[in-house]
Amino acid sequence: MSRLLLLLFGCSATVLMFGLWIPFKALVAQELLALAWAETQARQVQARPWPWADTWPVAKLEMPELDVSMIVLDGLHGESLAFGPGKLVAGADGPVILAGHRDTHFSHLQHLAPGNPVRLQGQDQHWQDYRVTSIRVVDSRKELINTHALAAGTLLLVTCYPFNSMDARGPLRYVVEAHPVYALEQKDTVAAL
Amino acid sequence: MLLSLLANPAVRPDLFTARRAKPAAKQSRWLRMAEGISLWLAVLLMLFVHPLYAEARQMDMEQPGQLYLMNDQSARQQPAVILDSEFQVHVSGLLAQTRLTRTFRNASDQWQEGIFVFPLPDKATVYGLRMTIGEREIVGHIEPKAKARQTYERARQAGQHAATLEQHRPNLFTSRVANIPPGESVQVEIRYQQPVAYKHGEFELRLPTTLTPRYMPGDPLAETQGQWQSGWALATTEVADAHEISPFTVRPQDVDGGSHRARIGIEIESGLALADVSSPSHRLHTELDGARATVRPEQEKVLMDRDVIVRWRPVAGSEPKAAVFHQTWQGEDYLMAMVLPLETAGPVLRRELVFVIDTSGSMAGDAIAQARSALLKGLETLRPGDSFNVIQFNSQAHALFAQPVPAEGHYLARARRYVQDLRANGGTEMAGALSLALGMDSGPGGERVRQVVFITDGAVGNESALFNQIRSGLADRRLFTVGIGSAPNMHFLREAARWGRGEFTAIHSGAEVDRALNRLFAAMEAPVLTNLDVRWPDQGQPLEPVPARPGDLFRGTPLVQVVRGLSAAGQLQVSGQLPGGRHWSTSLDLAQAAPASGLNRQWARGRIDELTDAARLQGQTPDEQQITELSVRHGVISPFTSFVVVEQRRARPETESAGSQSIPTLLPAGSQPGMLRYPQTATFAPLFTALGLLGLMFSLAIAMLNRRPSL
Repeated sequence: MSRLLLLLFGCSATVLMFGLWIPFKALVAQELLALAWAETQARQVQARPWPWADTWPVAKLEMPELDVSMIVLDGLHGESLAFGPGKLVAGADGPVILAGHRDTHFSHLQHLAPGNPVRLQGQDQHWQDYRVTSIRVVDSRKELINTHALAAGTLLLVTCYPFNSMDARGPLRYVVEAHPVYALEQKDTVAAL
Repeated sequence: MLLSLLANPAVRPDLFTARRAKPAAKQSRWLRMAEGISLWLAVLLMLFVHPLYAEARQMDMEQPGQLYLMNDQSARQQPAVILDSEFQVHVSGLLAQTRLTRTFRNASDQWQEGIFVFPLPDKATVYGLRMTIGEREIVGHIEPKAKARQTYERARQAGQHAATLEQHRPNLFTSRVANIPPGESVQVEIRYQQPVAYKHGEFELRLPTTLTPRYMPGDPLAETQGQWQSGWALATTEVADAHEISPFTVRPQDVDGGSHRARIGIEIESGLALADVSSPSHRLHTELDGARATVRPEQEKVLMDRDVIVRWRPVAGSEPKAAVFHQTWQGEDYLMAMVLPLETAGPVLRRELVFVIDTSGSMAGDAIAQARSALLKGLETLRPGDSFNVIQFNSQAHALFAQPVPAEGHYLARARRYVQDLRANGGTEMAGALSLALGMDSGPGGERVRQVVFITDGAVGNESALFNQIRSGLADRRLFTVGIGSAPNMHFLREAARWGRGEFTAIHSGAEVDRALNRLFAAMEAPVLTNLDVRWPDQGQPLEPVPARPGDLFRGTPLVQVVRGLSAAGQLQVSGQLPGGRHWSTSLDLAQAAPASGLNRQWARGRIDELTDAARLQGQTPDEQQITELSVRHGVISPFTSFVVVEQRRARPETESAGSQSIPTLLPAGSQPGMLRYPQTATFAPLFTALGLLGLMFSLAIAMLNRRPSL
């Protein structure tokens, strides 16, 4: 009996460890990524956060309203999403798509509202300001992201929905669409020219 | 400590020294503890590193540089219904009859409905639907669209074998097959005919196999009741049937290895000695025998990712200048005549050319490169005295110059730079580009012939509204269209040119740009024949020729007309005005007519188009009743009627349920994938944490319960 109990205890502890490991990994990785991002910007190279990493930091995302910032990795595959939101640029200068796990980095998306600012810093240290224009919940079985129909420069933030669900393979996605905001001074200079 | 261990693999050798120190650890408690910690760290490291290898393996399967999202549910990318197609084409004279057999094989262990949205040639007339299940063949019939849907839906729910074929656009159809048994297949045979294009002494047949995903302008409507939802797009304010004409587009490697391949066989009976048969899209295996040819692609099965184009030309000198065909159907006579006008060169006119180029996302890939070289080629044809402008459009339209500028060195240089920098992305808001092009004032410098050259893949869902816009805004201009890509929307290109009183051409590959455009620009110099007058012999019957009012003819393009109720006797008179104002006429002896089949269907299709056109000119909805009557009488599909076929006995037992599968189409070759699946964006963390906590609490509770009696 006590052996069975020990087994159950051991199994539960392992499962719990697996469960806690994912957010822990996400948290720790962001710290390492911050170092790599600093190096990326300083030396203008693709610095890998750890030598065997398959991805590298490509941008920094800030949601000023929520006081959150995070390092964004290259690619939307599971390997980058485990450590940070992934970024994909569709086409030459097509829309920018960021996806993150709803239980780690992109859990903040539920607090974003239309009109909120979002900022994205590229490798060239230039901050691009965006403003959230719409938030939709889509069924990924029925809809695809049609990158051709999105205006150039659009920013899409994608995560799973609903936020507190246990089902890791649910079909619903929470899609936040943001459009670039250009500073007024810039326009003035263009007009003056 | 932990952090530095994870971050710095140089620390890792410590683990192994710790392990090697195992015998010595017996004496030292401290060493044993170190061993324990390092083992745990090793396990943690394994967990950290392992997923990387797993993902890296999957990454290798992707082609470099291709846009693709990882999806854990790989099952969804392998459709349960596998599709096989066979085109058997028989060309006789100017008409091609095709039997298109689609086999829907159900690879799942559940009963399935297969839904497939597919293109047919833009001038295709569908006249038959048959369903074959095992040995049994059932012939379908025509019903009004709504009724056909009901018939099919009833049969589907009752578990009967059933199939239906519906027209959404003249070149876009949906076929549904209900209750395909698990592990078995159902064959659906579609019969259609299409006219063979005869231009510049060459015959051309185009068989589209896939479509470029279309852009749906307008705002999405609230969730449509998804009974017939089968696409990625939602209905919008401007494209009410967007959800029905937007099949999912996938790359060839995303479908089952045997799916989406077509066997193609073409038999040509031209009646003229043939010189050669060629194709810009596929390598062909040809057997030539005088006036007959048997043609098939070299590969046994070709991937359905591009239009199949076959061209043949008669031996030099024997290119036909005129032809007549005759058929008697249900006691009625039908005649089809083809007349090629004289080729003459007119005076050189001063032109104002406005180039409009599509830079929307669907053009990304090879298409935009072809479009750019087409436009550069167009700029080359400008002569001193001409004026020009360049407009590009995607989500917005942008003109290079505020109004047309003279074709002079520095303007041309600026235009060339502008064109070379064009990139493709964003939407396809064609209406804005058209109003910009058609609303632009002429530049200074006197009278010019105004022409618009529209370079696009035609991937839009609101064709009808655009035709209206062209018709009403055209004024004295002519609009010419240039189709780009492996699977352009030929219906849009042909009809836009027709409403724009111009000509169309299509470029299939980069190597074809020169050839196609040389011909188009030559034709654009001037219409060869205007004020066309076609006189059929008067046999005391009202004639209903189609097309009723043929437009101006351009170089190398013949006049083709079909009439009903006229026997093959008498003379056909065709006259018109050549460039420079000279009069030209010719006559054709109808008694020489060759026998043909399918003319009645050609005529019926033409009449349906005429009725739709007439309604558009008056701004009304087409006469549904008259079109339905024509369609049922001649057994041809129309916008208001569909084919449906039902087997009477029940096939699916009541205890079994049936799934439904929309079969995707393939991404046209050379284009960039624009459709992304949403990535998997949740982890098992909450589930594991909850399960782990639950298990711990449970075991703790039991442990406490166990301990109590012992106390």
